Amino acid sequence: MVNLLSMHNNINEPQTSHTSSSRSSESSNPLEAKKWASKILRDCAKAISGNDSSKINHLLWMLNELASPYGDCDQKLASHFLQALFCKAFESGNQCYKTLTSVVERSHSFESSRKVILKFQEVSPWTTFGHVASNGAILEALEGETKLHILDISNTFCTQWPTLLEALATKSDETPHLKLTVVVTLGMARSIMKEIGQRMEKFARLMGVPFEFHVVIGSLRLGELTREELGVQEDEAIAVNCVGALQRISVEERDEVVRMLHALKPKVVTVVEEEADFTSSRNDFVKCFEECLRFYTLYFEMLEECFVPTSNERLMLERECSRSIIRVLACEGGDGVGEESERRERGIQWCEKLKKSFTPVRYSDDVVDDVKALLKRYRAGWSLPPAQAEDTGLYLTWKEEPVVWASAWKP
Amino acid sequence: MPVEVDNSSAMTVSTASGEASPSSSGNQVQPSSTTTATTMKRKRNLPGMPDPDAEVIALSPKTLMATNRFVCEICNKGFQRDQNLQLHRRGHNLPWKLRQRANKEIRKRVYVCPEPSCVHHNPARALGDLTGIKKHFCRKHGEKKWKCEKCSKKYAVQSDWKAHLKTCGTKEYRCDCGTLFSRRDSFVTHRAFCDALAEESSRAQTSAKSKDEPRRKKHAVLPSPPSPSVVVSMAPLVQDSELPKNVVGSLHYHLPTACLDGSSSTSGTGSSRLSSVFDSRLGGSLLPQTSAFSDLVCAASLASTPAIEPPLLHLSPCSGFTLFGTTGQDGSQFARPSQPAMSATALLQKAAEMGAAASNPSLLRGLGLSIASSSCLQENSGWNRDNEGNTASAGSGLTHPSDGAVGLTELMIGPSLLFGSKSATHDFLGLKIGMGGGVTPTGGVSALMSSMGSGGGDADLPVAEGDSEVKTD
Repeated sequence: MVNLLSMHNNINEPQTSHTSSSRSSESSNPLEAKKWASKILRDCAKAISGNDSSKINHLLWMLNELASPYGDCDQKLASHFLQALFCKAFESGNQCYKTLTSVVERSHSFESSRKVILKFQEVSPWTTFGHVASNGAILEALEGETKLHILDISNTFCTQWPTLLEALATKSDETPHLKLTVVVTLGMARSIMKEIGQRMEKFARLMGVPFEFHVVIGSLRLGELTREELGVQEDEAIAVNCVGALQRISVEERDEVVRMLHALKPKVVTVVEEEADFTSSRNDFVKCFEECLRFYTLYFEMLEECFVPTSNERLMLERECSRSIIRVLACEGGDGVGEESERRERGIQWCEKLKKSFTPVRYSDDVVDDVKALLKRYRAGWSLPPAQAEDTGLYLTWKEEPVVWASAWKP
Repeated sequence: MPVEVDNSSAMTVSTASGEASPSSSGNQVQPSSTTTATTMKRKRNLPGMPDPDAEVIALSPKTLMATNRFVCEICNKGFQRDQNLQLHRRGHNLPWKLRQRANKEIRKRVYVCPEPSCVHHNPARALGDLTGIKKHFCRKHGEKKWKCEKCSKKYAVQSDWKAHLKTCGTKEYRCDCGTLFSRRDSFVTHRAFCDALAEESSRAQTSAKSKDEPRRKKHAVLPSPPSPSVVVSMAPLVQDSELPKNVVGSLHYHLPTACLDGSSSTSGTGSSRLSSVFDSRLGGSLLPQTSAFSDLVCAASLASTPAIEPPLLHLSPCSGFTLFGTTGQDGSQFARPSQPAMSATALLQKAAEMGAAASNPSLLRGLGLSIASSSCLQENSGWNRDNEGNTASAGSGLTHPSDGAVGLTELMIGPSLLFGSKSATHDFLGLKIGMGGGVTPTGGVSALMSSMGSGGGDADLPVAEGDSEVKTD
C-alpha cells in the first residue's frame, strides 16, 4: 500500500489518499487534473511494451482507481483504455472481445440502436457528413437512370436512406425504381434488419418511390460476394455505398474486396471512413497505442461537447469504443473470420488501395454546398477545409483535426 | 408550405388545375379512407396525362425561358404574353388589339417539353398549361441560379426561391410523436424510423369510436395531476383534442421530462409526480418499484433515462391504456382519420405543420423510451451507484461511493464497471489479489472471464456475486 501511494506522488498526478474528502478537493483543480489519463495510459502502454510487470501492475491499479466510464473525459478514456491495456497485459484480449461482443449482441435491439444512432446524428455531423456526401454523389452518378440498385455495405442501419428517398421523390420527374440491397456482416445487425427493412419499405411507399428492399447476410468475407448473390441485374445502375465498411474487413482481404467491388461494375462507389491509422502500426504496440489514443481522445472530447453529460446515448457510443479499442490493441493474431477488424486507415491509405481499381470522382459544388450547409447547423467546431490539390474526397474536421473522410469513385 | 412540396405537386396536377397542390392531396385523401387497400398500393399520379384530342404545342427552350418578352413602350413593363400586353396598353390609351380566335371551336392545348430526354417530351405526357411547362422546363432543365444563403438550397425559378427565403430557417418540423426538428433532414430521417410512421400507415381503418369511448372514461376517472406549469415547454406537444388534455398530457410530460437527457431539471417534485402518475395508472401493483425509481430520480437529480424504463416495461401491458404498438387498439388513440395514401410530400408536410395535433401514445416511444434490455438493467445499477458517488463527492473528478466505510474493495467495485455489469468487478478484484496476495494475474483473468460469461443475463446475479466477493475479502 505504501508503495502504491508513493507511486502517485512520483507521477505527480492527483495526489490522493484514500479518503473521499481529500480527493474531491484535489481534483477540483482542473488544470492539475488535466490530461492525466493520457499520461498514465502512455506510461502503462510503454511498460507493457517493455514487459515491466511490476510497473504494469502499479499503473493498472492506479488507472483502475482513477478511471470511471461515467466520469469526465479523462476518466472515461482511462476507463476504456484501461480495459484494453489490462487485456493486453494479460493476453486476454480475444476472449474479452468475444465476451463483450456477445453481451452487446444479446442486449442489442432495434430500439436501442435507433435511439443511439439518431441522437448521434442530431448532435454531431460525424455520421451525417458521410451520408450527405455519399447521397449527393450517388444521386448525381445515377441521374437519369430508371432502375437504381444501391448495394449498401455499411454500418449505418439504413439511417442514410430516408433523405435519399426523399430526394428521389421530390427531384426527378420520373421517380426511378430503387432496389436497396443491404449486406449485413455484423451479427447484431441481422436481428434488427427485418424491422429496418419494413420501415424503409413503408417510408418509400409513402414517398412514392418504387422500392425493393433486400438483405444479404454475408460473412465478413466480402471479397467473395458475387453479382448473383447480391441480385445484381444487367439493366440496373449500380451504386455501392461503403460507410465505415472497409475498416471492418481484415487488412489482408482489403485489396480483394476492392476488386470485388470493381467486378460489380458500379456507376459509383462511395467510401466513408474515420481518419485514423491502426493498420500500418499494427505490429508496433506503442505506436498503434498512440494513434488509438489520439483518435479516441478526439472522439471522446467530441462526444463530450456534443452530448449533454448524462446522455445515455453517449454512454452507449463510448461503450462501443471500448470494444473497438480492445480489438485494436489487445487482440492477438490475425483478424478472425466473422469478426470486425476495426483497423482503420487514413484517407490517403484507402486512396492507394482504391486507385488500383477505381478513379476518384470529385464532389460537385452542389454536394460540397450541401455538406457545408449541414455543418452550419451543428455547433461550432466542425468544418470542411478547402480540398488540397492532392486530396481525394472531403475531410470533415473537428477543431482543425480531420476526423472523417468521404470519397466517391468510379471504375 | 415548403417549396419543395410545391415543386412536385405543381407538377403532379398541372394538367388538371395548374396549381393547388392541396387539391391534389385532397383528391387522394378523400377516397382513401374507404378504399385503403387499393389506394395504398396505387402508384403516384403520373404528371401529364392530357386529353388525346388536345393540340400539342412544342415551344423552343428560348421561348420557355424567356421572361416578359412583351414590353410596353410607355412604361417598360414586361409581359409574358402578348395578350396581356395588349390589355395593358389599353390603360395608356394606346391602340390595342386582342387576337381573335380564328375558329369558334376551342381546342385544348397541351405543351411538350423540348428536352428530348424528358418524359414530358412525349406528347402523351404533355403538360396542360403554359405556365406549367415553363416552370417545369426552368426547374428541371434550367440552371439553378437562385441560391439561399442560409441553407445553400438552389432554385431555378425565382419565385420558388423567394418563397423559400420566407420560410427558410423559421420552420420547425414536428413529427407525430411530438419531437420537433429544425432541420428537414433530421426530420425526414426521424420520420422514417419513428414509430409514429409505422402507426400512420399500419393503423387499421376501423375508426374505433366505440373502443375509444370506454377508454376515454378511464382517463376521466383518473385523478387530475398537478398543473403542468413546470413543464410548459412540453405542453404544446400534447394537443389532442379528443382526449382529456390534462390527464393524457400529464402522463406524457412527466415521462419525457425525466427521460430527455440533459434536462437535469428532474427535481424531487418531478419525481414524486412521476410516481403519482404511475400510482394512479396502475394501482398498487407497481408501487414498490415506482417508489424505488422515484427515489432514484431524487437521489440522482440527474436525468437517468434507463432508470425510468423498467416501470414502463410493466406499464405497457398492465394498464388498459395501451401505450404503444403491441395491440391493434391503439390506433384509436389518434383523433384524426387516417390518411395512408397521402402523397409523400403531403405526408411530410402534414407532420411538419406547426401546432399539428400530436399523437400522444407514440410520444413515449418517440422520445426514446424503450424496453430495457438485460444489460440496461445492469447499467442502471452501475449508473445509479455512480450518481450517488458523484453527488457525494460534489464535483470531484473522481467517482467513488459516498459510503466512506466501505473501503478499498468497494472503491474498486464502484467505478470500475467497465463491462456495464457488476461482474466486471471480478476483473480488478482478481487483479488486486494478483498484486497483493501473490496469486498469479492469470488467476484473476480467468475469474474475470468465467464471471463475464455469466454476465449480461441477470441483473441480480452480479450484485450477489459482488457481495460475496466483498465478504470473502
